[in-house]
Amino acid sequence: MVTLRELLPRGYAFTVIGITVGVAGLVSLGAMAERITRFIEGGDRFVLGQISVAGEGMGMGTGFTAGGLLSASKIAEIAAVPGVSGAQAQVMLPLNTSTSHFLTLTQELIMGMDLSVPVPNRHYRELPVGAGRPLRPGDHRATVLGADFAASRHVGVGGTMALGGQDFMIVGILEKTFTAPDRFALVSIEDARELWLRRDPLLVQAFGAGSLRRGDLNSGAAVGWRDGEDPDALARRIQTTVRGLNVTIPGELSRLLRQSTAFFSALLLGMGALGLLIGGLSLANTVTAAVFERIRDFGIKRALGATDLDLLGEVLGEGLRVSLWGGATGVLLALAIGTAVDARLLRDGQQLFLFSPRLLIFALVFSVALGALAAGYATLRIARLSPAEAIRRGT
Amino acid sequence: MSKTYAGPGGAPVPVLAGVDLELASGEFVAVAGPSGCGKSTLLNLLGLLEPPDDGEVWIGGERVSHHGRRAQARVRGASIGYVFQSFLLLSGLTALDNVLLAARYVRRDRSEARREALALLERLEVAHRKDHYPPQLSGGEQQRVAYCRAVLNRPALVLADEPTGNLDDHHAHVILGELRRLVAERNTAVLLVTHRTEARAGADRVLYLSGGRLTSRPPDPVA
Repeated sequence: MVTLRELLPRGYAFTVIGITVGVAGLVSLGAMAERITRFIEGGDRFVLGQISVAGEGMGMGTGFTAGGLLSASKIAEIAAVPGVSGAQAQVMLPLNTSTSHFLTLTQELIMGMDLSVPVPNRHYRELPVGAGRPLRPGDHRATVLGADFAASRHVGVGGTMALGGQDFMIVGILEKTFTAPDRFALVSIEDARELWLRRDPLLVQAFGAGSLRRGDLNSGAAVGWRDGEDPDALARRIQTTVRGLNVTIPGELSRLLRQSTAFFSALLLGMGALGLLIGGLSLANTVTAAVFERIRDFGIKRALGATDLDLLGEVLGEGLRVSLWGGATGVLLALAIGTAVDARLLRDGQQLFLFSPRLLIFALVFSVALGALAAGYATLRIARLSPAEAIRRGT
Repeated sequence: MSKTYAGPGGAPVPVLAGVDLELASGEFVAVAGPSGCGKSTLLNLLGLLEPPDDGEVWIGGERVSHHGRRAQARVRGASIGYVFQSFLLLSGLTALDNVLLAARYVRRDRSEARREALALLERLEVAHRKDHYPPQLSGGEQQRVAYCRAVLNRPALVLADEPTGNLDDHHAHVILGELRRLVAERNTAVLLVTHRTEARAGADRVLYLSGGRLTSRPPDPVA
């Protein structure tokens, strides 16, 4: 049976600690970068999955449906445009009006959906429900909460949630998507309209005058397209066919989103590069130093008949084991720190780290490969010396 | 053989200048000389631990100094044993593993080498310390372990560089006794470099290194 002592060569404790610190830094920075990447990718995926339409004008609604009111007749006209597979009326409201239009990707939203129409978003046919059930047609005063939304309020399925001064029964909690829906409270469109009317006295007056019906109270619509349709071309077709609309072109919106998140992209690229540099340098330096520290041992072994190949094999074997130990403990350390930090942040509905399998595998492979390279390099440098010179330098 | 090192500023420092030495099997030769005269360098060249600038090393009819690195490593492992003044044990290995290290690189059967190593440690009265690491051993114990390592593969030539330099009289006596026994029982050629006058007592020949050359006559004392 292989013992722990055989797996970890004696005298390498500090080397392993050095590698652990480097890899932990690499994994932590990488996990933060992964978190941001997933957020941006998720948003991009959402906007590319539907054509978002609002009424002409501005000042109503929020999120992807910011614009003027979109009447029921306009939605019917949109649904009739050739190539459209469906148009779902929506009401998006900021949960907290005091921060209404700032940071729309991260703000908490109430999203009312017309549940009689299938969700047209091609990338989110159904928002994944982690606990409870999705909203169904006919649900009244019922809500499905995003994962962060629910976590920050410590609520679960079966509890109640006050939205806009009204109590809603929580029927489901979404799985974590790492993007916008994590901060949504999904309700039926009728409930969302009710909340909107309670919030906006002017709308009540408009109703009183009889110029508006409840079905016209939509902040926008999500529009889907038939297979084979070019969504950008269809969006332009809708814009020209139906008058009085603000139509977002998915391709343009994606570009805009990427431009507006370019800073974050650059930041995470820098974080990744920094992580690789710090982690890589730390690891390579630690392993190289550990090998050079043993220069006397190599001289002795060569005096006892070891060939260059013998030494290279030994050092690579040790380098691999030490790097694997350091890499694994580094990953565990980063996971422990990240989990502890996120457990604290999650109370406020935040998550800083995303430890994806690809990141963890990359960190392990990176540490082992770089460790072996560094060990091999140091050994080849030492092999140039005569045994006597190696013993002299190491003594 | 000749050897010159580069000194400060690259100035040449000649150490050996045309040394000629022949050792027969079963011969015990002691080399004496003042500190810094090149005794250790002589052993390094003879033991293929560094190359001479000029000259050749022959072992058993083979010109080993002109072998490639790999072949020289094989010669070092199989035909030459080293006993150093500072023991040069590997601190990360136990006493037994230090001895067995000599067998590893000549691809000896491990169980047979282990039996022989334990017998050697037993005879040198350090078997009870076989699982101890060098820092846990006294100087005398370390040198006895180093000696076991040097002779495990029954080399034709043993080079001992001040092997008693860091030992008290008792332990020095033990090591010198073992070297003499090696010559007598195994017909090994032993070259001993030492300051100790009593260490040279049992040698077949005593040579003196002075001015980079070996002589059989002690150098004239400096007036």
